[in-house]
Amino acid sequence: MSALFRLVGVGGVIAYRALFNWTTPSIFVGTLLVGPLFQLFFFAYLGREFGVADDRFYIVGNAVLTAALACVFGGTMAVANERRFGTLGHVLLSPRSRTAIFLGRVLPYAGNGLLIAASTLTVAALLLGLRIPPTALPGLLLALATASLACGFFGLTLGALGLRFRDVFLISNVAVALLLLFTGVNVPADDLPAGIRAVGAVLPITHAADAARRLAGGVPLGDVLPAIGAELAVGVGYAVLAAGLLRVFEAESRRRASLDTL
Amino acid sequence: MGVRVAGPTHRFAAMGEHAIEAVGLHRSYRSRTGWLRPQRREVHAVAGVDLTVGHGELFGLLGPNGAGKTTTIKLLNTLLIPTGGEARICGFDVVRQTREVRRRIGYVFGGDRGLYDRLSARDNLRYFAELYGVPGREQKRRIAELFELVRLTGREDDRVEGYSRGMRQRLHIARGLLHRPRVLFLDEPSIGVDPVAARELRQTVADLAATGTTVLLTTHYMAEADELCGRIAVIAGGRIQALGTPAELRHHADGRRVLEVQAYGVTDGQLAAIRARPGVREVSLAVHGAAQVLGVQSDAGVDVQADVLRELDGVRLGRVTARQPTLEDAYVAIVNRAAEPTPVAGPVPA
Repeated sequence: MSALFRLVGVGGVIAYRALFNWTTPSIFVGTLLVGPLFQLFFFAYLGREFGVADDRFYIVGNAVLTAALACVFGGTMAVANERRFGTLGHVLLSPRSRTAIFLGRVLPYAGNGLLIAASTLTVAALLLGLRIPPTALPGLLLALATASLACGFFGLTLGALGLRFRDVFLISNVAVALLLLFTGVNVPADDLPAGIRAVGAVLPITHAADAARRLAGGVPLGDVLPAIGAELAVGVGYAVLAAGLLRVFEAESRRRASLDTL
Repeated sequence: MGVRVAGPTHRFAAMGEHAIEAVGLHRSYRSRTGWLRPQRREVHAVAGVDLTVGHGELFGLLGPNGAGKTTTIKLLNTLLIPTGGEARICGFDVVRQTREVRRRIGYVFGGDRGLYDRLSARDNLRYFAELYGVPGREQKRRIAELFELVRLTGREDDRVEGYSRGMRQRLHIARGLLHRPRVLFLDEPSIGVDPVAARELRQTVADLAATGTTVLLTTHYMAEADELCGRIAVIAGGRIQALGTPAELRHHADGRRVLEVQAYGVTDGQLAAIRARPGVREVSLAVHGAAQVLGVQSDAGVDVQADVLRELDGVRLGRVTARQPTLEDAYVAIVNRAAEPTPVAGPVPA
């Protein structure tokens, strides 16, 4: 059992350092902290201008969304960058469980996402004057953590597609842009067409953003647990999907020689 | 995909008697070109390879580019599934018992890729130690041992992106040995490595074989194979064309002599004309810097030097030497023979 924990924990952290492109301080701060913060300001001021919703809606929703950038791209890099370094073959020759290897890689990205979302929310709330009740903080932390984990597994699913399709970062770019609209972070879900709402319900961020907004508005944690549970279920769904795709594409690569493993 | 041949297990030796066993190994690829009028093509990369390698043996697999060497290795190390035939590593089937096979093999290939550039050499090995199931309490000692074995002690904490190609190759070997594999596949490990580093690599490989590790080595360098390997198989066109000790393989060039001419500007037409001269058996042309080295194998009793020099009239020439055939000449003979078109069978007389 300790060997499994080592593979997931130690292996996951080393893989993060090996495969995540944005680990240097300047790129990390610029890409993952400053950029998303200005995106949040943009939507907050847009919301104020048009009066569609209040500051809480935009600040909290966009803060949750900031977790997506690190987690979705990180999850994708966790698989797709193996091709870049020519290490995929050596990973696939491992006798260890693929599920443990790849799902373990998501944890550092989820931690990253949580850090980014929490710091973005703190800075934005201070600068834009949003008051959050201290009693809401543990619940908010839980909602952000769940969103980060779900995003990480969503990214891993996209990364698994990288075993089959070479230009998987194209898919990740589109996916991150879709999250902006489909999750109801910047447009109230009730105003979205039913089809987009339905897709949003099975995407990460949607339920966590809803829970976080209500928590920031003073709703007790108990009342938002179903939403956090739904976010967790979405994350678990993507974890299962990612594990399945990794298995299928690996088997296909052996059968059809479809993978440039070396 | 073709149908996998379900061969009877008695074709294999008793479980694990050999480190590597392959019977009738096939691998074909289908490719498609064009959209409106798609054309499908089937390429037989490996077309019936039979092979046994004993425990602790250092076995060479030689062949020209595209001969099927790497595909054979990928079939044996479980990265590809054969479209026909069977293979076992230490008695375990490469298709059905992949986890058992992977526990027992290491894989090293040549080139700059295959390592995490941003990590130090130590962290690369730590990560692969996790992937290959080296117990945590053993990792530190094992990694230190391997750094010593591959002569990288003192550079363990440098980032791999700053490593030379020779250092990378040695780190590849260390990675391949982390979990003490019983069988090590070395796929052109010395490609692009300078002569000093190549000599160190050969020493490392020889040390490995001395410790009882079975090594299957593919290489383009005859001298390397001659120095290291107990037995060599020459593969071309997806089939084993010759197999034996280096001394046995040299017999493929028996009864021949070799004329080597250093030249500048030999044309294809001149090569064809030399090839057509009576007594000429093989012609090869290698490029060394600005010079070409023309190798002409002929029957031992025929002196072709005058004919060859006549055909090269007008070409600037350097040194001209005659010598006995080497393993490389035997290799050229075997590969060229394999490339000759197979005579089409005529109607069978009644």
